Amino acid sequence: MTGNFLKTTVLAAGLAGWGLSALAASPSLELVAPLADYKIYVAENTAQLVADTTGLVDAIKAGDVEGAKALFAATRTSYEKIEPIAELFADLDVSIDARADDYEKGEADPAFTGFHRIEYGLWVEGSTDGIQDYADGLLADVTDLDSRIAALTFPPDAVVGGAAALMEEVAATKISGEEDRYSRTDLWDFDANFAGAKEIYELLKPLLAEGDSAFTAKVDGNFGTVEEVLAKYRTEDGGFASYEELSGSDRALLSAKVNTLAEDLSTLEAKLGLG
Amino acid sequence: MSKADHGGRGCPFGPSRRSVLLGLGAGGIGAMAAQAGTAAAPQVNDAPDASAEAAARRVPYLGRHQAGIVTPRPEAGLVAAFDVVAFSPDEVERMLKTLTERIAFLTQGGEVPGRDPRLPPADSGMLGPVVSPDSLTVTVGLGRSFFDGRDWLSGLAPVHLARMAEFPNDALDPAMCHGDLSIQFCAGLPDTNIHALRDIVKSLSEFLVLRWTMEGSVPPVVPAPSGETQSARNFLGFRDGSANPDSNDAAAMDRLVWTHAAGEPGWAQGGSYQAVRLIRNFVERWDRSALAEQEAIFGRRKVSGAPLDGGEAATERDVPDYAADPDGLATPLDSHIRRANPRSKGSEANLILRRPFNYSRGVSANGQLDQGLLFICYQADLEAGFITVQTRLNGEPLEEYLKPFGGGYFFVLPGIRDAGDHLGATLLDAVRHA
Repeated sequence: MTGNFLKTTVLAAGLAGWGLSALAASPSLELVAPLADYKIYVAENTAQLVADTTGLVDAIKAGDVEGAKALFAATRTSYEKIEPIAELFADLDVSIDARADDYEKGEADPAFTGFHRIEYGLWVEGSTDGIQDYADGLLADVTDLDSRIAALTFPPDAVVGGAAALMEEVAATKISGEEDRYSRTDLWDFDANFAGAKEIYELLKPLLAEGDSAFTAKVDGNFGTVEEVLAKYRTEDGGFASYEELSGSDRALLSAKVNTLAEDLSTLEAKLGLG
Repeated sequence: MSKADHGGRGCPFGPSRRSVLLGLGAGGIGAMAAQAGTAAAPQVNDAPDASAEAAARRVPYLGRHQAGIVTPRPEAGLVAAFDVVAFSPDEVERMLKTLTERIAFLTQGGEVPGRDPRLPPADSGMLGPVVSPDSLTVTVGLGRSFFDGRDWLSGLAPVHLARMAEFPNDALDPAMCHGDLSIQFCAGLPDTNIHALRDIVKSLSEFLVLRWTMEGSVPPVVPAPSGETQSARNFLGFRDGSANPDSNDAAAMDRLVWTHAAGEPGWAQGGSYQAVRLIRNFVERWDRSALAEQEAIFGRRKVSGAPLDGGEAATERDVPDYAADPDGLATPLDSHIRRANPRSKGSEANLILRRPFNYSRGVSANGQLDQGLLFICYQADLEAGFITVQTRLNGEPLEEYLKPFGGGYFFVLPGIRDAGDHLGATLLDAVRHA
């Protein structure tokens, strides 16, 4: 996805017969504003990620298991919102967010680090003793991520395609509740992933031609349904109930919506003349 | 090895260009290719030869009943069960209309429409730009939970449609059971079924969420010189379905397979109850049991499929005479076929139409083969059919070698009558005119 940079030439030539209603005359120019806005959104989130991670690491350093547990889910959300950009730095994505099943030796693998290793320490080992180094490593990684992203020229296709990519991630590797398997805080991640995808979609929506109102109505409706479902699981403190609380029927509904969003958002690049 | 050894892919009888070439040996191939100029020697990456005739074979998807029940069973089967995320009558109608459109295309075949190359293609492309029908049938059923989850369907569920209950020998895995909607795909090649499943998953992502799938196959059998047909074998090595009712006997199918009882809702007439059971076979243990024991357990000869009370020349078509064997000296009273179909007065009402496939899916945690039967059967009345038969089988000696772990009960909707009709039209009419 990273190699395919924005083409400044008009791509519509020769494609008029395909019935795409939203071919932008000059996609590069029209994308400048939404890309700039998106970069601000990402920068705000990485700054928040560094601040929140600092708090989480402080709690771990102080040996405060309950305090660290309380901060864990919220800290992750700013990472989950910007995953399409964060994942451009594959080395950091692995050390920050890999799961035990990415390693043959699972939790015992010394290369298993980052959020989920800390989650394992807090919820399964019930102690901050074994995760001090992982905490230091996580803070160093998110700080590095913040500065690398600040220096990055955002590839337009990574941004536009990012909306669908987030939905694909949820559909393929999260809806079953395997992401936050020790803490069961998966619904926080779902919410952040949907928010991140919707942010991209909303920034690009003005560029979609009026003839695409059926498309935008369908996408709006599906985001709306997802928000309604997740709202049922909001807790009074602004967080989310445990994944275990998610009913089978709501899980099926989320699954259908996330797959349909992925299906529809996968056409965004073509609709915006990228590709 | 010749292409003809590749079980059923393509026509095993017509000497294809490639099997002729392969039979010539390397020197012959080189010489012949050089001579012919155009016929190159086959490469490992060449696709296996397909049979044009088999690829073009179409099973009509229109009719009073859905295809895939009394139509001939091809080599490959796949059952997929879904949760349905369509809650209003309008949404359900949109889902069933879309499903009908996809079934029309997939089963009849045709060219895949082109699209702007910057968009994802309309089709997975796994069958190429022109989809061959390949005898595909797509058979759609609804589970009890579909009716229970929608208030506006109250009173309209088929009377015998229930959530599959656990039988004594079952060890049901919740991840492999039940569903709001089932789709049975049958075709000549597994690829045709997989293509159809992917098309439906993509086209109906808004409404259908997969719960479980199971794929299976039946080994093709070379017809006997006499022309007599034979039943395919299961993974226990026995012929399966010898006692099936005649699927070409329309009157028998009307009586046994197509739902017609006065107590059933009017919309359900012409549908059928589908029982799907995922039944693991402990094949290692079975292969270590004596032939005589295996035959006593089934009540049939392993090689011929003939009943045990027949002579040397008996075939699987012979009918056992249980009246002459009241104590089970020839056919044990607890043998599979005698329990399943005691051929006693009244037991003809319990006949079911079996349409199973064999499955093989890797290795169990214990290092044994995970193989068995994707059992599928159809009946006009689920209670009189599968449930009664399985209840009679409870405790049979064969259970030692079986472990049912999944499946579900579904009601197959009446057929799509014509090109303007769609699946479930009678049900939706019943809702709107209630």
